[in-house]
Amino acid sequence: MSVLPTLTDVLLQTYESDPAIPALAAAALAVGLASFGAGYAERGIGSAAVGAIAEDESLFGRVLILTVIPETIVILALVVVFLTLS
Amino acid sequence: MSPTTRTSGESSNYEYVVARVRARRAALFDEDDYRKLVRMGTSEIARFMEETEYEREMNDLGARYSGVDLIEYALTRNMAKHFEDLLRWAEGGLYENVARYLRRFDAWNVKTILRGIYSGADAEAIESDLIKAGELTEATLDRLAAKESIEGVIEGLDGTIFHEPLEAALDDFEVEELLVPLENAVDRTFYEKLMEGLPDAQSADRATQLYLEFLRAEIDFRNLRNALRIARSGADIDPSEYYIEGGTLFDAEEVRQLAGDTDQLVDHVRDSEYGEDLEAAIDDLEAAADLIGFEHALDAALLEYADTLSYRYPVSITAVLSYILAKEREIDNIRAIARGRESGLGLDEIERDLVML
Repeated sequence: MSVLPTLTDVLLQTYESDPAIPALAAAALAVGLASFGAGYAERGIGSAAVGAIAEDESLFGRVLILTVIPETIVILALVVVFLTLS
Repeated sequence: MSPTTRTSGESSNYEYVVARVRARRAALFDEDDYRKLVRMGTSEIARFMEETEYEREMNDLGARYSGVDLIEYALTRNMAKHFEDLLRWAEGGLYENVARYLRRFDAWNVKTILRGIYSGADAEAIESDLIKAGELTEATLDRLAAKESIEGVIEGLDGTIFHEPLEAALDDFEVEELLVPLENAVDRTFYEKLMEGLPDAQSADRATQLYLEFLRAEIDFRNLRNALRIARSGADIDPSEYYIEGGTLFDAEEVRQLAGDTDQLVDHVRDSEYGEDLEAAIDDLEAAADLIGFEHALDAALLEYADTLSYRYPVSITAVLSYILAKEREIDNIRAIARGRESGLGLDEIERDLVML
């Protein structure tokens, strides 16, 4: 039963201490996870792109743009890093 | 790559295959091309084909054949090439499902070889009639075509899905001296394997469910066609002998009752789940009593259904399926045009023979 007061303190966050994940580490995680997402999206688009180019080479330019579009999500995640740094 | 092996844990590469298949689907002949083709003579058709997709086949075969034969061999060879490509690209579950459907060409080839050897044709003549699109490799087919006897062919098929059923049918063949039991065995095996090993309808995702539905429609239409032909010819054949399991339209008992009477058969189809899609075709059938027209309407309905599905579920087997059907239609159409022009049919008659969307 002696645990109970401590637990209440933890739950109500009455302790003044550093968070489990520091802000900068959280930002780094955000970038990492976003990159995973972009990578997964590009997997599908990339293989479709290669298929399309194999049939018609003139599609190269258009297909290249489509393939890198998921990359924007990583750029958005980088914004988070700069927000935390400032 | 025999029809029994290759079950793998690989994942499917839908994106790659679908992108390539769609490009090829778009490159097929359209209505304008057909309109041009029906006005051409056979040599003009041949020249037209040399300038398109069929260039390589036309040049390869040009020295050996001429006229309509050249066109026809070039068409089947080109189709075989494209379908081989599909099997080469696909991996994992997608490969399984594509191969499942393309095995119909294996069935066709095995039947052609059996017939050829039965009628005493030489290996070269048999080989020229094969469609090398299925899972049986070219080397296997050549080896089979060179066999001396039916028994030899069946032995050569050891390790494939056709071996056992053919072996079982061999006794009937020896008693009756007719190919029918063997051919039935091949067809039955194909259709039985078509539905076998597919995931359960409840647990599969939506696209696979639709694939199942599509295969079932294919079997139903096949049964319907057989029943109609038997009803029309008035021959004294037990239709349930040709009945293929797996469809939902009728069961073996119903087929036996309905095949005697075309009107009842038509009513049955009208009341079934296909009634709506086939409405125009059924009206046609009742009015003109034209079996060819009805069969073309069945083909068109199937093709349109596959097309709709491929737009609704872009990253799935349905796009591949719609390409396979469209390509087959193209081959049939060009062949119909070439044959029609050769025998001097009028424009209207040829156009009626085409399946267009």
